[in-house]
Amino acid sequence: MIARRDLIVFLSALSAGAASAAMPVLAAEPSLLTGLDKTAGGRIGQAWLKENPGATAAALTRRLAPKGWSPATLERLRLKVADDFRQGRVFRHRGWRLADTEGALFGLLALTA
Amino acid sequence: MALIDAQALPDASRIEADLIIVGGGLAGITIARQFLGTSVRIAVLEAGGRDIDMDAQEFYVGSATVRAPGNPDRELNNYPVQSRTRVLGGSGMVWGGKCVPLDPSDFAERPWIPHSGWPITRQDLQPYYDRACDLLEIPHFPPNAPPAGPAIDVGPDFFSAPRVFTRYSGGTDEDAFDRFRTEFASAPNVDVYLHANVTRIGLNAAGDRVETLDIACLNGRRHSTAAKSYILATGGIENVRLLLASNDRAPAGVGNGHDLVGRFFQAHVVYAVDGNAETEGSAIQLSPGQPTALYINLKRGGPQSVFAATLEGQKRLNSGNFTCTLYANAGPPAPGGVAEETAAIGALAATLDGKAGQGRGPLVGCFLMAEHFPNPDSRITLRPEKDALGLPHIHMDWTYSAADLDGLEHAVDGLADALGARGKGRLCWPGERSALVAIGNASRHHMGATRMHPDPKRGVVDADSKVHGLANLHIAGSSVFPTSGIANPTLTLLALAIRLADHLKPQLGATR
Ligand SMILES: Cc1cc2nc3c(=O)[nH]c(=O)nc-3n(C[C@H](O)[C@H](O)[C@H](O)COP(=O)(O)OP(=O)(O)OC[C@H]3O[C@@H](n4cnc5c(N)ncnc54)[C@H](O)[C@@H]3O)c2cc1C
Repeated sequence: MIARRDLIVFLSALSAGAASAAMPVLAAEPSLLTGLDKTAGGRIGQAWLKENPGATAAALTRRLAPKGWSPATLERLRLKVADDFRQGRVFRHRGWRLADTEGALFGLLALTA
Repeated sequence: MALIDAQALPDASRIEADLIIVGGGLAGITIARQFLGTSVRIAVLEAGGRDIDMDAQEFYVGSATVRAPGNPDRELNNYPVQSRTRVLGGSGMVWGGKCVPLDPSDFAERPWIPHSGWPITRQDLQPYYDRACDLLEIPHFPPNAPPAGPAIDVGPDFFSAPRVFTRYSGGTDEDAFDRFRTEFASAPNVDVYLHANVTRIGLNAAGDRVETLDIACLNGRRHSTAAKSYILATGGIENVRLLLASNDRAPAGVGNGHDLVGRFFQAHVVYAVDGNAETEGSAIQLSPGQPTALYINLKRGGPQSVFAATLEGQKRLNSGNFTCTLYANAGPPAPGGVAEETAAIGALAATLDGKAGQGRGPLVGCFLMAEHFPNPDSRITLRPEKDALGLPHIHMDWTYSAADLDGLEHAVDGLADALGARGKGRLCWPGERSALVAIGNASRHHMGATRMHPDPKRGVVDADSKVHGLANLHIAGSSVFPTSGIANPTLTLLALAIRLADHLKPQLGATR
């Protein structure tokens, strides 16, 4: 199961653009969660979880980062997001059309917050 | 030769010309201008005067009800009087001057849209579009031209469609528009009669030619006409009213042998949702680095592009034409949780779209427009009440079908998917299907109610805009559009007006 710290580190590293293939994401500072509000993101996550009641942090981690959290995960998630939109796997939140993968990421944030 | 006040003519005057144009709005004036310097004698009969006045405007009173499945009906009874002006220059006195051609897809027969397809193509109309642009002093719109600047590429279902503004509007450049609507009247072969309300189209005994028009002035004078050819150019609603009300020889009204006059009325409606503490409102959270200058152009002079559905996109999405117009979001986001959620969405999207470290992209407002499909139940009819000159008022049953609502929803979802799949942004559309009639903001575009079709059983006018079954009556204006796309209609109605003038010139023996 992913620790909240790992997810935050992952997201913060992505947001900061600091991750490179050579630098393991988990080594980054957890406090670098720039641009992503955990409370607001958590609320979106709760809404996603309401539509996906069985989801657990472990299951979401397996889905989102089956090989662990690394820069390659981002590339994989990016492709997943594009594919979600192409296939119409869309999570609606207050009118926003988000990829289901985005909803799941927020869901994981909510579960680990 | 001049602007003539029909009220000052001796009672029972007979106005004679080769071609009589009823209505001195943008359509009527444009046609008259095509004949300047020719041998054809033109008379324009205009109900209004030089200035907008309430006495003339009163004749536009009517009623309207907007309907859509699952939505409460909405009364828009002020719409008929507030969406047009009865004055020399017509609604050109107040129009916004936004010029847009119909897309090539708008002319196509689209099997998933009943009654779609024009008897002419965008290609056929292109030379006339070019001339209409020259008239309005705006750049041409070559079909399939690349965008005028860096564009946001969201894939094959949508393209960036340009819009341009002309200064020829009474509301924009009063002097220029005043010259536009009056100078042509000083040509030796043109007479423009003001305060000349046409109240009846009089047919010959066989019912196949216009023999005369009845003209009524508010001072009580009555006049008549004699001409080889007539053009009805009284606007998208009034064209219907005059045809239906002229029912002495043809009981269902002129040109209405197949009960089509007034049917297929189409409108353009803008859908937007304002943000509040509960929702962001209609908006797009763009990914960082997307070029917005092409879409958010605050200068009226320059082009402004919108996302528009391609033919391929419409087919794939099972929608009609559709546009999404961006605008700079006014003011800071509403306080409360929503703004923070939007920020979180923007931040995550930026990262996932490969723009990590660039912060959040711009949040822009957007409004949507979806094609109103041709629908025989969407119609203009006559009311029992009459105006002071004896013409019945109109009622508009402005009707949407479930397919219209589906088309909007499919297209919104399609655009959201296209933006997301290409990593360009995320779309927020909180509009409820059951509230679309309530939130719709009606444009003043009146289309379709004397539609063009080569088959008299399916259209009021033929491909040359001639009323089926009548040898010498043509119609100008957006009422002839078989489908209405999303494009503001005036550039197209002007292109058709120029085309009609070219068509009539040889028939009327026009020589320079
Ligand atoms: C506020 C507003 C903003 C608009 N903005 C835009 C825009 O940005 N872009 C766009 O493309 N379109 C816009 N439009 C629509 C545009 O103004 C019309 O499409 C266009 O002016 C129609 O021209 P017309 O000559 O066919 O009809 P009209 O302008 O309606 O002219 C008809 C003329 O016929 C006269 N008439 C009517 N009945 C009779 C009668 N019985 N006898 C004699 N004369 C008669 C009228 O007085 C009038 O002068 C706007 C309209 C409004 C009201």
